[in-house]
Amino acid sequence: MNDKEQLPDVNRREFLKNTSLAAMMALMGGTEMRAEDAAKADANSPEALTKIPPPPPVSYGVIGLNDWGREILRTLSLLPAASVAAICDTYAHEFRKAKEIAPQAKTYEDYKQLLADPAVQAVIVATPTGTHRDIVLAALAAGKHVYCEAPLANSIEDARAIAKAAREAVKVVFQPGLQERSHPQRHFLVPFIRSGAMGRNVMARAQWHKSESWARQSPNAEREKELNWRLYQASSAGLLGEEGIHQIDIASWFWKSRPLAVTGFSSMILWQGDHDRDVPDTAQAVFEYPGGVRLMYDATLCSSFDAAYELYYGTDSTIMLRDEKAWLFKEVNAPLLGWEVYCRRDQFYTSTGIALVANGSKQTALTATAVSASPYEYAPLYYALEAFHNNTGLVAGVVKDFIDLYGDGDPKGLADALKAVKLPKPAATWQEGFEATVLALKANEAAVKKEKIVFQNEWFEL
Amino acid sequence: MKIPRLLTPGEVRCFAGLIALAFCFVPGANLHGQTRYTAQPGGSSIKVDGTSSLHDWEMEGTFIGGYIEFGPGVRLDPEQTTIAGIEGDTVPVKVSVRIPVDSIHSKAEHLPDVMDHLMQEAMKSSSAPRIEYTLTSMTFKGPHEAGKPFDFNATGQLCIAGATNKVSFPVSIQCVETNKIRVTGKTPVKMTDYGVTPPAPNFGLGLMKTGDNVTIIFDWVLRKR
Repeated sequence: MNDKEQLPDVNRREFLKNTSLAAMMALMGGTEMRAEDAAKADANSPEALTKIPPPPPVSYGVIGLNDWGREILRTLSLLPAASVAAICDTYAHEFRKAKEIAPQAKTYEDYKQLLADPAVQAVIVATPTGTHRDIVLAALAAGKHVYCEAPLANSIEDARAIAKAAREAVKVVFQPGLQERSHPQRHFLVPFIRSGAMGRNVMARAQWHKSESWARQSPNAEREKELNWRLYQASSAGLLGEEGIHQIDIASWFWKSRPLAVTGFSSMILWQGDHDRDVPDTAQAVFEYPGGVRLMYDATLCSSFDAAYELYYGTDSTIMLRDEKAWLFKEVNAPLLGWEVYCRRDQFYTSTGIALVANGSKQTALTATAVSASPYEYAPLYYALEAFHNNTGLVAGVVKDFIDLYGDGDPKGLADALKAVKLPKPAATWQEGFEATVLALKANEAAVKKEKIVFQNEWFEL
Repeated sequence: MKIPRLLTPGEVRCFAGLIALAFCFVPGANLHGQTRYTAQPGGSSIKVDGTSSLHDWEMEGTFIGGYIEFGPGVRLDPEQTTIAGIEGDTVPVKVSVRIPVDSIHSKAEHLPDVMDHLMQEAMKSSSAPRIEYTLTSMTFKGPHEAGKPFDFNATGQLCIAGATNKVSFPVSIQCVETNKIRVTGKTPVKMTDYGVTPPAPNFGLGLMKTGDNVTIIFDWVLRKR
């Protein structure tokens, strides 16, 4: 029997066609790490046979309708039980594009009017970072569930005020926009990294590279200035705060520890003079974690090479995170861990075209073209908003039941009841949002000042 | 001068217990003399034990609302063999219980949300969001043994999924601390009697079917108001 006869119906031509970066990684010996292979590969699994319960309906108000606000509207439209009751922006011209996505939504130019709308159960705050505090505090006071984009604020004081209000708002869900914390693929990696399966942690390296100005255009000069809040240090958390926060947060989450210090560097290399900006277009930061482990991070608007990724180095293996996927690269002398048999291997040899798949009895694992296509259907924002939606629906139901049965005069009893609730989807907490914001803001400060900052415990206290 | 003797730990516990018991059986300050206990959050549980063609299953919740109101003069004294204020064995008492269907969750380790969803659908939680019970009569099973719970037979109307049936089952009431009582009991329920089709999760190639008979077990904590 030759090799061809041993193989299931694998389209070798299709397989080889997918020679993307992912395939290149595979050729280098990477094993793609996926959370859902086992379930998807078995057509008779309970997951495949059982219908997923629909989440409770939640109606939203979205505040801030520029690019990211519209992305949020598009993502909400993918959630079957989500409806957008209202949208808000201080610049009414934004309504036209937003209404194309959410045609039924009422429009408000003042967020306070949106918060007074009883049809709005939950709000999503996608406004400039420096405006988050006032909006979030008002939204929580109005009894709305709140999803606030990260960073929470552009000052530690404002972030602390948001975190305190979120902690005290027992009846509602507060979720910071650390979307990676809801991503199933990232959750798949957490126990793997923390278990020591990679050996000892050595270091991490991460980057965010884009060749773009970061500037927004508008025919209205005043509006253009508002849109370009990220370009000025007075209103922006800089590249490390506005973009880097997600990747920086992942390191602390994966390693389950907080850095001791950060040393930063920054330069204005390409965009000097554009819009009179003063936020550096290139920044680096080295985070020092306990045990001599460091995260080296850099972000730039001057080069798009290699886009964004994270590398976690261990003594036995290294993990690369790119887009919604991850690969493992084992050291040649690393011990066999056993988990590998459940994972698809994308390694193959040109002489035979055989994909080395340990669980070869599962045909779908061989035939899937997942080398280039992400196994996850949606972007991280989808999973974050899905988590916010499902958790909000559950918490709202519990609060309603509690008040119906016991009245509204026992906040401690309600808090205890909610503590016992197992939320259906993982999501970042107010505390994680606050700590990530402090890390990112201090990293930005270190980069701007080109100095080392030692983290003080009191910065992370409420 | 005689030095007053301090109480021993045992005497302190005994003294505290007597105070708690005194508060338990003294009626509350109600204009009409009734003693009303109201459900309080925390400490209560409602369990549903069921069977299936594959294995037993269990659901549990912690939300039980409602009240128990004893008639004028009724006193539960844990040290007495009978209950003051009752005529014969009939206890003058009103009981109302409400349990949100959606607050009862599967204890299964695997896909509990699926079982929750199936049960909520079967129990028509969107149109009948609560299980409700109203007592129609309660008799004291006495004599009561000092320090033990009081035992009763309770008869009432149980409403599940919008359908109401008369049910009778034994219950126990215990004074647990100052102003607080704990009511425990269990009763078998046939789901189809309430128009509830036993859920059939699509596990194991559709071979799993839940049994028609379940047992409802409750442990209800109330405080005197």
